[in-house]
Amino acid sequence: MNEKLQVRNLRISFRTSNGKVQAVRDISFDLSKGETLAIVGESGSGKSVTSKAILGILAGNSIVESGEIIYDGKDLLKISEEDFHKIRGDKIAMIFQDPMSSLNPIVRIGRQLTEAMLLKGKARQRECRATFNGYLKNLNRAMVNAVAKNDSARAAEINENCRKFDKFEFKHIELESAYKKSFEAAGETVDDIEKIAFELEKKSVSKGSTDRINDIAKQSVDSINEYVVSPENKAEVYALARSLRSEFAKAKKTLNFDETLRILYKLRDFAKEGVAKKAPNFFCMGYYLTFSDKPLPDMPVDELNKFLHDYIDRDFMLAFIGDAEKALEYSSGKCCENMRSTIEKLNDARKVFTRENLDSKECHAVYKELAAAVKSCIDVLSISKDSLSFTFAPSLKSQIDNYFHAIGANVKAQRVHDRDQRKFDRIVARGKKPDWEVADAAITDLELIKENILTIITRLVDHYDEILANYSERNFADETVAVIDYLKENASGVVDKVTRRVAKHRAIKLMDEVGIAEPHKRYRQYPFEFSGGMRQRIVIAIALAANPDILICDEPTTALDVTIQAQILELINNLKEERNLSVIFITHDLGVVANMADRVAVMYAGKIVEYGTSEDIFYHAAHPYTWALLSSMPDLDTDEKLEAIPGTPPNMIYPPKGDAFAPRNRYAMQIDFERQPPMFKISDTHFAATWLLHPDAPKVDPPKAVVDRIRRMNERRANKDE
Amino acid sequence: MSDRETLLKVEHLCQYFRAGNFVTKAVDDVSFDIKKGEVFGLVGESGCGKTTTGRSIIKLYNITSGNVIFKGVRIAAGIQSYKDNIKKAKEEKIPNLSEYIAEQKKLIKEAKYDQKNCDKEYSKKRVAELKEKYEPLIAKASDPAEKDKLTKEYKEEVYKARRTKLVTQIQMIFQDPIASLDPRMTVREIIAEGLIIQGERNKNVIDQKVYEMLELVGLVPEHASRYPHEFSGGQRQRIGVARSIIMNPELIIADEPVSALDVSVQAQVINLLNDLRDRFGLTILFIAHDLSVVKYFSDRIGVMYYGKLVELADSDELFAHPLHPYTRSLLSAIPLPDPIYEKARKRIVYNPLAEHDYSVDKPSLREVSPGHFVQCNDAEYEKIMQELGGNH
Repeated sequence: MNEKLQVRNLRISFRTSNGKVQAVRDISFDLSKGETLAIVGESGSGKSVTSKAILGILAGNSIVESGEIIYDGKDLLKISEEDFHKIRGDKIAMIFQDPMSSLNPIVRIGRQLTEAMLLKGKARQRECRATFNGYLKNLNRAMVNAVAKNDSARAAEINENCRKFDKFEFKHIELESAYKKSFEAAGETVDDIEKIAFELEKKSVSKGSTDRINDIAKQSVDSINEYVVSPENKAEVYALARSLRSEFAKAKKTLNFDETLRILYKLRDFAKEGVAKKAPNFFCMGYYLTFSDKPLPDMPVDELNKFLHDYIDRDFMLAFIGDAEKALEYSSGKCCENMRSTIEKLNDARKVFTRENLDSKECHAVYKELAAAVKSCIDVLSISKDSLSFTFAPSLKSQIDNYFHAIGANVKAQRVHDRDQRKFDRIVARGKKPDWEVADAAITDLELIKENILTIITRLVDHYDEILANYSERNFADETVAVIDYLKENASGVVDKVTRRVAKHRAIKLMDEVGIAEPHKRYRQYPFEFSGGMRQRIVIAIALAANPDILICDEPTTALDVTIQAQILELINNLKEERNLSVIFITHDLGVVANMADRVAVMYAGKIVEYGTSEDIFYHAAHPYTWALLSSMPDLDTDEKLEAIPGTPPNMIYPPKGDAFAPRNRYAMQIDFERQPPMFKISDTHFAATWLLHPDAPKVDPPKAVVDRIRRMNERRANKDE
Repeated sequence: MSDRETLLKVEHLCQYFRAGNFVTKAVDDVSFDIKKGEVFGLVGESGCGKTTTGRSIIKLYNITSGNVIFKGVRIAAGIQSYKDNIKKAKEEKIPNLSEYIAEQKKLIKEAKYDQKNCDKEYSKKRVAELKEKYEPLIAKASDPAEKDKLTKEYKEEVYKARRTKLVTQIQMIFQDPIASLDPRMTVREIIAEGLIIQGERNKNVIDQKVYEMLELVGLVPEHASRYPHEFSGGQRQRIGVARSIIMNPELIIADEPVSALDVSVQAQVINLLNDLRDRFGLTILFIAHDLSVVKYFSDRIGVMYYGKLVELADSDELFAHPLHPYTRSLLSAIPLPDPIYEKARKRIVYNPLAEHDYSVDKPSLREVSPGHFVQCNDAEYEKIMQELGGNH
């Protein structure tokens, strides 16, 4: 499952006093893990609406007409607000367009930055605890079923092993997090000292220098740990840290920093030594410390690691891993059996849903049966969630409900329509010419719903067939390792406690990362004391604070200047690589897109008009709207008059019958005004919705500005290669 | 370019803001001049003082020190530099101290007078001109009806002239087209407001002028009775442009007029400003952070960094041979619509502490080649000259 997020056939409208505005009209796209998808378009093209739908923060007057947004086994359009709380900010975060309106004016910056960390920290701890316990319990049960079906002694042993794992795993994480804290502190000490020493040598002191010196003192004390800066030097480090503060306060007045620098270099040497040390294997050490009565043997780290590793393997690990592997095999085997019977049930159920008139009772009974059957196919020990199985029951239910609701509603709508029609006819019969027409009755197509139900079933059957076909190729040894890592990850989530102090430290580091000077001072200020660019950086820092999975950037750099923009984009790119984030990047600036995007979707009037990799879009654009966008922006070599797009986007209360861009399009043909173009496939990755790609269409070249620019780009690259 | 008349001259402009004990030097010793008919671009990152410079020129702030000279008249002057001179002289105890102080105090007085009364002087001059023009005409007129008409016209003109300010010949276009238009005024009221303040009382004239302006910026007269919220972003910015050009300005200060707009609309507004410039020979001070747009639009460009002007040159020259390290870092950050090139692009980071050593030798703005100024000290100046010598 490489796709993080799938959007299918999304349609969103807004109820306004003038009528229904169709903001998003039937768009679909996927977002893979670690990929950046850019959505480009003018304001009002529905790009922000799409992103807000993903985050579940659409305005109150919005109607989601159809579609699915699938994330982590859930359809985000159908889950409750309670469930959304767990996803929003934590898993999916958003950087908003307007930094003015997304910060609270009466709360200090520091508080706003740490608020999410503190809240989410607690929630994440709880959630990790629940996941860890639940998963271990499932694993335990599967182990017993797989290995010791009728052997109570063996079962007791397995239960004991699982309890053991639980116990020492937390010891391990505790040791490791203490080590990590010190290690990070030591690393930061080295960096910070080098930075400030450079400035002090140049005799430059700024307002934040005192804060930074205090920080260094604090960090160097923090870095004392058995495996980093050894406790033997504790007294000396403490003394140095203490004298550093007083020495710096004195030196600030005289601008003679020799003594301060000497202390700093000494502290740096300690920290450097600590960073260079090798880390022991804490996983094995946790086990040894918990279950062995003897103290740790005194030997070099390499030997110690080997010793501990042997110990844990002999005593516990090999048996546990063996059992876990068998448990995984057992559990997935059982699910596959269930799948086979479920496929039959699903195929049988087709008959029920293909009948002329569906029967409410029968349908609901079948639904219940199918939901239970599909639920039994979900492997509780599988780490990645099977989205289709999870969303099957709610989607089927909503379609069935729609069907039976529509039967009544259709009769009603027809009655209203008939009444209006009679009224109209009466008026016409009187010889008058009314200035209005009778609207078509709003009748839901029952056949379409039936078809949707069948599609849902077929999709699941195909999916199961694929799983069953690949079953023999699964490697359970690898999966077991992944399972143990998964458990470790959750355990570390439980121990990873976010206190106020940690949050503040992290916030200041984040502020530094996003390029805010003197973060210590800024931490205590209010939003109005920041300029626009600075505020945007704060907003970005807040979005990143909770360490999200998917980051939605809604024009994050539109209000910023080039250098800051470049910094912020680099920051987002780095974070993306570090944390394997998926990014949805919404913008109208094509220069930015070229830098960021792996794939680009160009939107116009609520539809995706062109879709492809960034190379496809920039070098082989095919849709006239993309051409227009490309030629309307100046670059450094543009001298001639810019080609602005004439006119304005259409009013989406009355969406045009044909291609929405046709009235502003120089290349429009007759058919553009009459029928909507389908998506034409240009290459495997590149699609465009324009009639120009139809085999019968005349051959049209892109505008001169675009051709010239592509030629210039090629020349520049060629020059560079030489 | 150099033979043209200088329209605006900014000399050692400083604008400090005081917050408690802390003084923010938003603009610190900036000097440049703008020739008639040219577009002068001012670029720099946010918070570097480019908007403050624009606002100081149009007298939205009282400047701390320096002079702003518009069409040969000093329209704004600050006194801080003279005060500092006095303080310094007292500390150093220079010979003939009292004379020096008296001289400086005289300068302060003059600066204060100019700062306050430049508009009055201008309107007085206008009134005197009118008097010269009309009095002989009225005296010559024999027909009493014609005399009455002339007298009435004369009075009307004097009424207007009294309200005319020199500064109104500088107009500003603001960044945010939503925030800079009053939501409770119709477009007609917004555009005509300046005219009315200046003393235009004839409704027909106002309407006619408003319609003319609307057509000029690509809107239609029917739009006059609508409210700003009924327009799209680009159209709103056009209203802002119409509002500023109705006063017949000589200089327009365009403070990021396109940054808040979509790409396609950006092109429309830039084309509009270009047309207007060709038609009326407008001079524009173009403040922006989008370097591609500035390059496309401006004749000369000044680069600002933390309140200081660090480089000033013709736009082609600046982009071809950037000399100041900050300019280089700025140019390296421009995104281009070219994915392969973009992914290989390396941004140059500018760290003033690492680049310069100003502990002894203070920098100043020096001319390194004709029309190309760079902020540097002696050592850097020599280095730059060597580099240039090698190139040419």
